Amino acid sequence: MNSHLLEWLIMSLFIFCVGIYGLLTRKSGVGLLISLELMINAGALNFISIHRFLYPAQVDAQVFVLFVIAIAAAEVLLALALFMLLIKKQQPVDITQLNHLKH
Amino acid sequence: MIIYLLFFLVAFFSLLAVSSKSLYHSAIYLMGSLSVTAGLYLILEAEFLAGIQVLVYVGGILVLLVFALMLTQSDILVNDQPTFTKKIMAFGVSTSVFALGVWLLSSLHLHSIILPTASSPAPSIKQLGHAFLSVQKNGYILAFEIISVLLLTVLISAIVIAKKEKA
Repeated sequence: MNSHLLEWLIMSLFIFCVGIYGLLTRKSGVGLLISLELMINAGALNFISIHRFLYPAQVDAQVFVLFVIAIAAAEVLLALALFMLLIKKQQPVDITQLNHLKH
Repeated sequence: MIIYLLFFLVAFFSLLAVSSKSLYHSAIYLMGSLSVTAGLYLILEAEFLAGIQVLVYVGGILVLLVFALMLTQSDILVNDQPTFTKKIMAFGVSTSVFALGVWLLSSLHLHSIILPTASSPAPSIKQLGHAFLSVQKNGYILAFEIISVLLLTVLISAIVIAKKEKA
């Protein structure tokens, strides 16, 4: 196995850019969340690959990625609760329409 | 060889996740992408992270997303098609970010750094647990506690936000 660090970094960069594309094209909130998850995932993968290639003895990167996963879970939970509220109020989960906090 | 197969699968599933018309399909493709990322974590010898990835992302967040999609009957959720101009602009932005990133990375001379062998093992789960709960200088106990409080707060606020309003 002769894998270079560069390949892994470019791979996570690619996933990140795919996430940017999704973030810019999606209109519905859930679609945005999906793209956001991709981007967070790319960041975590980047973290772990640099840790494994350059500092394999350190434990900190894995700890950080665990925190990132926990925060991503929290963020998805809150966002979905907000979308549920919107759906109950019979409003579309369309972020182009959600440009006011209170009306 | 298997690394490149996994790379291809991640890229494939990610592209499908952002471009498929129905958000149900998107969620399923995201599940594929996240699971293959767990496989990449295994290659990078982060077994605990791979497990957590499958448990929290694939088992938790994805189920949540699919439930949210099933509970809604909004038309935009099953038919989220961007306009052509929007697609072109988003494609331009993301490819320029990608090109900039590749240019920056290739100027760093990272070709010589290859995957470490078994002679330099990754930290064990025991070390990870010690790092999490240690009160010493390199411990993360404070962040760990804060994140547990954060998760509790988020759980309660999600219930409060989504609960039935009084008539």
